[in-house]
Amino acid sequence: MDCIDKVTKHLRLVFGDVTLGVHGAFQEKKFDYIFSYVTGGPESFVINGMEWLYRTPRPTFWRALTDNDRGSRFHLKSGMWLSADMFLNCVNIAVAVDGTEIPFPCAPENNKYTGDEMARILEITYTYETITQPAAKVTVSYLVNGTGETQVTVHYHGNKDLPELPVFGMRFLMPTCADRFVYEGLSGETYPDRKAGGVPGIHEVEGLPVTPYLVPQDCGMHMDTKWVKIYRSTTLDNRIRKAKPCAVRFSAGEGTFAFSCLPYTASELENATHIEELPPERRTVLCVYGAVRGVGGINSWGIDVEPEYHIDAGKDIVYSFWIS
Amino acid sequence: MEADIRWLDNPEVFRVGALDAHSDHRFYINEDEAQKGTSSLVQSLNGMWKFHYSENAPSRPADFYKEGFDSTGFDEIKVPCHIEMAGYDKIHYINTMYPWEGHFYRRPAHSLNGTKQWEGMFSKASCNPVGSYLKEFDLESGLMGKRVSICFEGVEQAMYLWLNGHFVGYGEDSFTPITFDLTPYIRERGNLLAVEVHKRSTAAFLEDQDFFRFFGIFRNVSLMGLPRMHVEDIWAKPVLSEDGIGNFGLQLKLSMPKGSVGRAEVSLENPKGECLLKRDMLLPGNVKAAPQGAFADNKAAVREEVPCGTAEEVPAMDKKGENKENTDEFLKISCKLDGVSVGRVTPWDNHNPYLYRLTVRLYDENDALIEVVPYPTGFCRVEMIDKVICLNGRRLILNGVNRHEWSPEQGRCIGMKEMEQDMQIFLKNNINAVRTCHYPDQIPWYEMCDKNGIYVMAECNLESHGSWQKMGAIEPSWNIPGDLPEWKEVLMDRARNNFETFKNHVSILFWSLGNESFAGENLVAMYRYFKEKNDGRLVHYEGVFNNRAYEDRISDVESCMYATPDEVRAYLSNEPKKPYLLCEYMHDMGNSLGGMDSYMKLLDEFEMYHGGFIWDYIDQAIMVKDQVTGKKVLRYGGDFDDRPSDYEFSGNGIVFADRTEKPAMQEVRYYYGLYR
Repeated sequence: MDCIDKVTKHLRLVFGDVTLGVHGAFQEKKFDYIFSYVTGGPESFVINGMEWLYRTPRPTFWRALTDNDRGSRFHLKSGMWLSADMFLNCVNIAVAVDGTEIPFPCAPENNKYTGDEMARILEITYTYETITQPAAKVTVSYLVNGTGETQVTVHYHGNKDLPELPVFGMRFLMPTCADRFVYEGLSGETYPDRKAGGVPGIHEVEGLPVTPYLVPQDCGMHMDTKWVKIYRSTTLDNRIRKAKPCAVRFSAGEGTFAFSCLPYTASELENATHIEELPPERRTVLCVYGAVRGVGGINSWGIDVEPEYHIDAGKDIVYSFWIS
Repeated sequence: MEADIRWLDNPEVFRVGALDAHSDHRFYINEDEAQKGTSSLVQSLNGMWKFHYSENAPSRPADFYKEGFDSTGFDEIKVPCHIEMAGYDKIHYINTMYPWEGHFYRRPAHSLNGTKQWEGMFSKASCNPVGSYLKEFDLESGLMGKRVSICFEGVEQAMYLWLNGHFVGYGEDSFTPITFDLTPYIRERGNLLAVEVHKRSTAAFLEDQDFFRFFGIFRNVSLMGLPRMHVEDIWAKPVLSEDGIGNFGLQLKLSMPKGSVGRAEVSLENPKGECLLKRDMLLPGNVKAAPQGAFADNKAAVREEVPCGTAEEVPAMDKKGENKENTDEFLKISCKLDGVSVGRVTPWDNHNPYLYRLTVRLYDENDALIEVVPYPTGFCRVEMIDKVICLNGRRLILNGVNRHEWSPEQGRCIGMKEMEQDMQIFLKNNINAVRTCHYPDQIPWYEMCDKNGIYVMAECNLESHGSWQKMGAIEPSWNIPGDLPEWKEVLMDRARNNFETFKNHVSILFWSLGNESFAGENLVAMYRYFKEKNDGRLVHYEGVFNNRAYEDRISDVESCMYATPDEVRAYLSNEPKKPYLLCEYMHDMGNSLGGMDSYMKLLDEFEMYHGGFIWDYIDQAIMVKDQVTGKKVLRYGGDFDDRPSDYEFSGNGIVFADRTEKPAMQEVRYYYGLYR
């Protein structure tokens, strides 16, 4: 029993007043995660000394418009998702230890703890409400197990009174640019209605290429991905002169996900009329999507993407993936 | 004749003093040069020319062509190049709108029942830039003592030509070669060539293509020395019968000194050098005058003496009647080799672009070889079987793209390098067809298509969408060319230029009348012109889609652009009259090309669906040095203070402007490979 406990009760929990720390080590991996109660999500994911978060990951509801989106006036119908993407309200946070929800552990509730609390599993669930009219609800739960793997489960609750979504996913901002990323999925840039030519396999991409469309727009999508591994060798930590190259891996729970890994957010891309207007590359913006709208191609002045490649905002979108 | 600036305003004047459009064959003085493909008869005039830019015709140096004109104030410009890209006039991109939208009010001459003023529309416009070009040259030795002509492969949009102070001619069709005879005025040394290029003329109403609007001498300029016996035009007529037997006929137009005799030897060989056909034609058709020894070394099994058809005496290069002292009188001869069987042949198609070597050799009365004209040819058969387009008996599938000629550094002034890259990209990505949108391309492109089995839809230089399509709606009240008789001949000229120049390219399966010019009697006349050539090819025009009254009178195929898969299905499910193709589909603007699957499935669903041409091959954007960063960047419409503009709408390629493949290319490669 003692032996099993050591393996399973592996997480040391720090019940802070503003955050919940989750610390542990497994084999060669040391991990330190901090989940915030004020930023509405995890604030720090440190694995083997390297910080992987620049800002708290958030659900994302927007992609930079493509020329065809503009042509079909998609933005005039669905533009409210742009503001939902920029401004999001976190309305509830729930914490569960070893599968049991506990009273929200802020003071004075957390005065009972010692700092030596151990757990097998920690789950923290954030509930968001979009600023759309009407609002939509999204829950994102982070479930950390003893090996330091985190399962992220994302649930968009459909509302039939909302316009179609361009994308739905989670956006992770990493502090510095990735050197490269490797993924198992389809070759090249693929979309739901443009992926037949993608060759399945393990693909490596150097740097964070932005597809140089004349007007910057959504790009770099990779459909049907089993996992993606991001490699970085730079940090913002002033103590570290030369970081050891490290990697973080995002793997699909069941099935696959879509992702893009770019140096820019959708709104940065949206603002530029030419690629040279984009700011210097500083971050890694990884978006892990549960739903992606097609790009279309029949024409660029009115015809919509084919119906099967729309995202109906009235239906729930549920997906999950692991961070390790 | 003297040049008249008012020709710019008059749609009935579009070609003055030019030689008839003719085949694009190369000619050599001997076998050695023919083998190497370099001719001592050709002298390139590409390079630096003297140049003067004027804002409009009234302010141009009108006397610049005169000998003794003081051109010390002239700049220098590279030929070929667009004048805008050399930093003179403003670079401007605009789609359907005429380029003067918001700047000038214009209605085409004779439209709206002739109620609108048109005299001086271009010749007196306050802004209609003029490029005055001067080139001094001496003849290279290979051209000395010969008749000399000059070929401009592309001058946009109206040009006047003088040599040594004498007016030579005028031309408008920007995208087809135009040739002038310089013989009456040429000197061995110290020639002064003057070319005055106007940005706009009435041709502007016909050349409203969705592209950057340029002007200037933007393709090669060459002098050609014509051997005293010379092939002026070839029209090869290879015919493939259903049982695989080839039949080969030929029409030749020749010129030779009046009173001389000789022969033309026509041979057809396969790539192994085996002779399928050898024929001698006695020249000028007078068999008695031919020397007895003329056929002594002709060992061809099928040797046969073919008397010539007609011999017509014409003075050297017609007209003018002045300065003839250096020219002999020449005969122009038309002769014809009726089709003869050459036995079983290997058909030409995309999978096996099998070419035969046609050679015409001209010998003089002493049986000395005077001229060698090699031309690759091939056998294929285009036909409709039960309303299905078949090539060599098999249903034709077009995995095509529309291709503009484009270079981010040079605009439409491209060279062999770009063409070769394009062909490699075609082959790599299973593209099997190209539409030359919306003008004829440079000659080597057609040669590459012959060689590599790329099916060509050869389009005339015509697009007038600004005259009938306004803000997306059809409004043809002043449509050009419509039915206006004053605009008919200029269209016929464009049709003729396209046909005559490119008629021998086996890769051309379709003639296309032009793009988005609505439909009317003038397009009917163009259609008939091509049909009367009876060359086995199909004639294509999309514009009847918008004017169904002409459905049965203009196009052999039902062609649409950007029809949805369901619209295609609807046509083909309701007793379709014609086979169907999409001359433009999958608009690949920016991040696009989604849903290609729905179009490809139509190929499985309908025999009468033949695929189409993706819009389009390459982004049209211009490389400049960024004012802020100093880096080279790509710019599009509106980035040059050019207004009105259609901005990034010129960026619809499956390759970026620098020819790197867009991510969507893997989708093209996949589907086009699947349906090859």
